[in-house]
Amino acid sequence: MSIFGLLMRPRFVVACAIAASTLAIFLPAAAQERLRVATEGAYAPWNYKDASGALIGWDIDITNALCAKMKVQCEIVAQEWDGIIPGLLVKKYDMIIAGMSMTPKRREQVEFTKKYKDVVSRFVAKKGSITDTSPAGMKGKRIGVQRGASQRTWLESSGYDKTATLVFYDSVQGPELDLVAGRIDAMVGNEVSYYIGFLKRPEAKDFDFVGPQLTGGVLGDGAGIAIRKDDPALRDRLNKAIDEIVADGSYDTITKKYFPFKVML
Amino acid sequence: MWATIEASLPQLLRGAATTLVLAGASVVAGTLLGLVVALAKLSASGVARSVADVYTTVVRGVPDLLVIFVIYFGGTVTLTAVVGRYVEVNPFMAGTAALSIVFGAYAAEIFRGGIMAVPRGQVDAARALGLPPRAAFLAVTLPQAWRLALPAFGNQSLILLKQTSLVSVVGLEELMRKGVIAVGATNQPFTFYAVVGVIYLVLTGVLTLVLHAFEIRAARGYARA
Repeated sequence: MSIFGLLMRPRFVVACAIAASTLAIFLPAAAQERLRVATEGAYAPWNYKDASGALIGWDIDITNALCAKMKVQCEIVAQEWDGIIPGLLVKKYDMIIAGMSMTPKRREQVEFTKKYKDVVSRFVAKKGSITDTSPAGMKGKRIGVQRGASQRTWLESSGYDKTATLVFYDSVQGPELDLVAGRIDAMVGNEVSYYIGFLKRPEAKDFDFVGPQLTGGVLGDGAGIAIRKDDPALRDRLNKAIDEIVADGSYDTITKKYFPFKVML
Repeated sequence: MWATIEASLPQLLRGAATTLVLAGASVVAGTLLGLVVALAKLSASGVARSVADVYTTVVRGVPDLLVIFVIYFGGTVTLTAVVGRYVEVNPFMAGTAALSIVFGAYAAEIFRGGIMAVPRGQVDAARALGLPPRAAFLAVTLPQAWRLALPAFGNQSLILLKQTSLVSVVGLEELMRKGVIAVGATNQPFTFYAVVGVIYLVLTGVLTLVLHAFEIRAARGYARA
């Protein structure tokens, strides 16, 4: 039969349509002695890629330290954020180490280890202008905060709205611009974001963190390593490894490479 | 700024190469699929017509992103269940399969329209000259259908080239994902999205020129309308 004759036969056409719709070539899985770790790879300085395409950052260093403690070989892959939990659930990798906040919604889908870093909030003000950041100490001050942020809920539930004036902004840049311009006396938000995005800029040279690092309660439970719910043994091994790198000081050594403050309180 | 762009350029160009290979593979596979489905739609067999109609209706009716997710995540789950052990579906092949399936559905309608627009008299004349049906189709109908289908086909190819950016969601490091990574590393969103935009423009610009050349070639022997 000629090729064209074959092409015109309905059964062949149907078979082609079915075959084409399952076109993907599938590679067999490698042997399972290695653990695979997903990170986002676009979140400097936590996890990102350098100009050569290699993964670097705090999360990468922490991952390598954890894997060394667990005596396993880890392969770290960069995975786009929206697909990162689905990929874990279908076993494309065994854990996610990407600064993932442990929210109730995520807890429905995945299991978390113990906290491996805090999500820390902090006040920023002009150097020497504020010493006491308690509600009483901030009496009469104007405090800038993002409208939808957890820090706003925290300010209101802690009573700052009764002593100070809260000024709300829709953007991250809003409070920063107004703080420099003197329209507000202090702002409160994510510590690392301020450190990377604000305090390193030249116009912020007269400003610094004031008061203690703030975390817990409405400010969040910190970030954990996400694993599948059917993998409690891995969770226990990771928890032990987290304790070990904190106890032997390697956790702080890694953090000092990136930040002049603690990331786990 | 130029220094950071220069440092990231090799990675961005590697992403552009992945984008091109992905788009190229999908156009070839999708075109073949589209041609087969178009023939099925025009065939005398009711079964073939129904299968082809279900395919184009479903694929054109759901978001492309969904097709990518179904193949990448669903493909892994299904094959793992069927084979009985973990099976990896890699992002490139999942992306190529998904984009080919999507492109095939649109191409099928484009080809069907092209084939149907060839005047019936052309086929009658070919048969009157003694050409058997398949020769009449290949030598008379198909070249004319191709000329008529080209503008719409070219349009769909341009759309496909940009759809490749969707495959970044399953972690394939094509141009868009490389751009996102560069932004994450440098905190310079405007600069790097602008560079990525320019690279896409170059790719689509070249494709437009190629398609134009195809159209001129396919129109040989026709007076300009």
